[in-house]
Amino acid sequence: MINIQDIRDTAKDMLAKGEVRAVIGYRRGSRGMPAEPAFITNPEQAEELVWDPTCFHNLSLYLVEDRKFLAHLNKTSDAPIAIIAKGCDARSIVVLLQEHYFKREDVYIIGVSCEGTGVVDERKLAPHLNGFQATKAVFDGDDFVFTTAEGEKRLPAREVMADRCLECRNPFPKENNVVFGEDRTGRELAEPFAALARFEAQGTGERWDFWSHHFDRCIRCFACRSVCPMCYCDECVVDSITFPVTPATTAEEKANRIRWIERSATRSENITYLMTRAMHLAGRCTDCGECERACPVNVPIRLLNNKMEREAREKFGFEPGASVGGPSLVASFLDSDPGDFIR
Amino acid sequence: MTKKRTGVFVCHCGTNIAATVDVAKVAREMADENTVAFTQEYVYMCSEPGQESVVQAIKDNELDSVVVTCCSPNLHEKTFRDNAKRAGINNFTCEIANIREQCSWVHNDKAKGTEKAIKISRSVVRRVNRNKPLEAIAVNVTRKAMVIGGGIAGIQAALDIANAGIEVILVEKQATIGGRMLQLSETFPTLDCSQCVLSPKMVEVKRHPMVKLMTYSEVQELNGSVGNFQVKVLKKPTFVDPDKCKICDHCTEVCPVVVPNEYELNLNARRAIYIPYAQAIPASFTLDENACLGLNPVVCGKCKDVCEAGAINYDMRPETVTENVGAVVVATGFDLYGQENMPELGGGKLEDVLDGLQFERLISASGATKGHVLRPSDHKEPKEVVFIQCVGSRDPAKHCAYCSKICCMYTAKHARLYKKHVPDGRAYVFYIDIRSGGKGYEEFVQRTMEDDDTLYLRGRVSKLYRHNGKVRVLGTDTLTGQNVEIDADMVVLAQAMVPSKGTTEIAKVLKIGRDKDGFLAEAHPKLRPVESVTAGIYLAGAAQAPKDIPETVAQAGAAASKVIALLSQTTLSRSPLIARVRPSHCTGCGMCVDACPFIAIRLEGGKAVVNEALCEGCGSCSATCLRAAIDVKNVTQLQIHEMIEACLA
Amino acid sequence: MSEQQAYEPKVVAFLCKWCSSAGSDLAGVSRIQYPPNATPITIPCTGAMSPMYILSAFNKGADGVLVSGCHIGDCHYIEGNYLARRKMHLTMELLKFIGVEPDRFRMSWVSAAEGAKFARVVTDFINDLEPLGPQDKLKKVVAND
Repeated sequence: MINIQDIRDTAKDMLAKGEVRAVIGYRRGSRGMPAEPAFITNPEQAEELVWDPTCFHNLSLYLVEDRKFLAHLNKTSDAPIAIIAKGCDARSIVVLLQEHYFKREDVYIIGVSCEGTGVVDERKLAPHLNGFQATKAVFDGDDFVFTTAEGEKRLPAREVMADRCLECRNPFPKENNVVFGEDRTGRELAEPFAALARFEAQGTGERWDFWSHHFDRCIRCFACRSVCPMCYCDECVVDSITFPVTPATTAEEKANRIRWIERSATRSENITYLMTRAMHLAGRCTDCGECERACPVNVPIRLLNNKMEREAREKFGFEPGASVGGPSLVASFLDSDPGDFIR
Repeated sequence: MTKKRTGVFVCHCGTNIAATVDVAKVAREMADENTVAFTQEYVYMCSEPGQESVVQAIKDNELDSVVVTCCSPNLHEKTFRDNAKRAGINNFTCEIANIREQCSWVHNDKAKGTEKAIKISRSVVRRVNRNKPLEAIAVNVTRKAMVIGGGIAGIQAALDIANAGIEVILVEKQATIGGRMLQLSETFPTLDCSQCVLSPKMVEVKRHPMVKLMTYSEVQELNGSVGNFQVKVLKKPTFVDPDKCKICDHCTEVCPVVVPNEYELNLNARRAIYIPYAQAIPASFTLDENACLGLNPVVCGKCKDVCEAGAINYDMRPETVTENVGAVVVATGFDLYGQENMPELGGGKLEDVLDGLQFERLISASGATKGHVLRPSDHKEPKEVVFIQCVGSRDPAKHCAYCSKICCMYTAKHARLYKKHVPDGRAYVFYIDIRSGGKGYEEFVQRTMEDDDTLYLRGRVSKLYRHNGKVRVLGTDTLTGQNVEIDADMVVLAQAMVPSKGTTEIAKVLKIGRDKDGFLAEAHPKLRPVESVTAGIYLAGAAQAPKDIPETVAQAGAAASKVIALLSQTTLSRSPLIARVRPSHCTGCGMCVDACPFIAIRLEGGKAVVNEALCEGCGSCSATCLRAAIDVKNVTQLQIHEMIEACLA
Repeated sequence: MSEQQAYEPKVVAFLCKWCSSAGSDLAGVSRIQYPPNATPITIPCTGAMSPMYILSAFNKGADGVLVSGCHIGDCHYIEGNYLARRKMHLTMELLKFIGVEPDRFRMSWVSAAEGAKFARVVTDFINDLEPLGPQDKLKKVVAND
């Protein structure tokens, strides 16, 4: 069990000594139960930090935002920034490091192990609360304890945990500067890719019915892209509305953008967008699940990413975010890569 | 961007195109394209008047770009690009739409053929619309060459290059140069002594002021590109100083270690310290590190004690040197297909069953038996010898599909040499066909059959086994239709030629292609037979395909002349269709750096930078980049995107 | 498909310059007939084959996409086809995953010497595509006026 006070003390100490310029963590949210991201710069504020089953945000997104912000100000980082990272979040940071998005010394990783649990899935929780809203959630061993107007409600974590956490086998942030909690690497609460396997057992027609339904519903709000730390490109290849115009942008560049898809949120364009996103996340997605959580129309985006992740693992022996010096999935190959699909 | 003025020139190619493609319709459709300012059709666009009309049309109509819809770009891309240049526009704004090989010749239905030709032409018109004028890239040339492999091919190539006044580094893996040819006894069809022909060349290459010889050395890494390669060579320690060694042989007399002699194809043994042959160059002993008891005076040290010249030095260490060269000739030779692959013929385990090279050593005056034909099992003179051709060759189902080319000839030679040594002996040859194309070759085979009374049996041998101290040969004579059973004293198998182990390794190191059989791939089977697919790397000898000595020497000379021609230039021009980075989109993730097969991209200040001298324009970077921040010039993603649209319109 | 016209699959064939495009040239020189449904686009190397091209071709109405390059070990650019093999595998798996018929995407290795194989690859592909009918899953719907 992690004692949140240890994390607070670490954060306070580093801020007080000026070792880091900020700590990115979680604090009590303003929207009821869920914690919200906190950008803490003064040592006293460190007391606000929380660690509970609602810390679902992948805070590495804010490392990306920080770098963009500094770049905008034409500044470079004068001290590292500390970040609280779960197993999946730490792997995202590793991918960003692999892609040279920032330097290892620019970030101080305060790892937190999810140990035997993970984060709560609010959609799974709702039916358990008799229509009441939870205002607080805490870890207690392998259970979560929720506070509602009715009182306290104790539930086994497995019943209300996010699927990705159930399937997670690496809840421990290997890449870290300091780490809290027990290393439970290799735990198996559920078969990895279990949901994926169930889905794939269906035939081509059923799969298409399922996806065409969801692709029809996508409103291309780009929430998935906004919450994804890997979607750090200034301009998205499939969406020209993010085309960055800087003083360095030439007229030719403006004229020569490729319009791979149309802006309209029609099925064919949504497919191309979501498929491209899945391709671009192959070998980079660490299954933090934020895209799917953020989707306002509940498109099961994680399934697409999961599919790529499993292909990478099973066919190419590739684990995203395994080590800072590791190769990129699509920029590398092995002699043993499968080729029997080629005629 | 002002609108392009593209000219489209539709060739009939006589009826080659016009028979299945409505060329007039193609021209009409192209005229409707927004950027097309001029169209023309002509019966033979590549003819002199056709070419002139293209030049004239460019001038008259102020065209800035050209699409010729005709045959494959492999044939006339250069022709029409030269015409574009002649007409005063940039040659890289001219592209070919292939409507012959990829369309008219492969389809019968004229309506459908025309439709496809229009799609192809339209996609190329769209591509040209975004082509940029480019200039070929000039790169400086390092006036020095490297030849890898010190057999007859490598020696010949090195001498030819050196005689043109160009420095050559000749790298050989073994302790001596000479290669396979040094192992041969006599050569067909003249029966002159192989070593007598080769030795003077070996000495010449050793003494040549423009040749640097590196024996017992291996190429480990090659970087750079045509004109400017950097080659890492590992010099293995011989533990003997060749300048001090007097080849007195005292060291071998005291060396206690006996190992099989690979230079004699294991027909005899050598010591841990040895000289491969009397004619070895460099004329010096080599201490085999793996066989030696320990390179340590405490353990043994007998050779060092006995060496009066003080040539032996146990402290030698491997050394890696980097050489800068402008061109490379690969002449890494062949091995014989292993007998272990032929279990029905004994799998290499039957006594007195030799392969062709072993037989060469057996009859060579310098070989294990000093030139006496004595069979290995009991050192008796064999009276009945069966030679079997095509062992492993011409057998696509189980072994090598190709013909090894030289076996008919050397088997005839073996039979003749055998009869010379053992006049009362009997030679049989099992063959499938006799392939004796070559000057004096057919006559040589005829003499073997007639003068030397060699019995040629047309057919395959199905089985070999030991029987009463002999080797029983079960075969079929397909001309008489009878089974043949011969109890031979010795059997010689003309095993197929395969690329040497070193050839396989070097292909990986140099990153040059190999064909389906593992031989080094030439750039074009007819027109570029001595070039590899990588510019600046040339091929010579049996590493490229099975061939005999005259052919090898000819190819080595051809490769040398290519090297000389290349290195006679002070600068080289390379294709400008290489990668270009859009810095505004590059995030410096480095995926292109990892994907680039040519190590041509590096990160600088957080952005990818392309080394124009190294980039070959494959586009692997572009397909890997997540943000289309890197593209191959004139084959950009935008261009492909518009071509896809054109194909599906 | 308004009239009783027979269905003709539309295919974009991405051919690498050094092997498969040369192989298709050889099919031409050898006059080996194959269906005219596949329109070739020559790319430098299959390594240059962005998955976007495949998605884009389907988006623009291709019924099938063919990618063909040099055999493993024969790539003019040494490693391009190894990189392609991995990328194309992922793309193909993703297409199958969302319910696109597996036969709509095909990859082959065709060397410069394999003219007959090129013709066979195209013929087989078209034969496999015909029973599937038009591809409308990923195809952009253009408003009729």
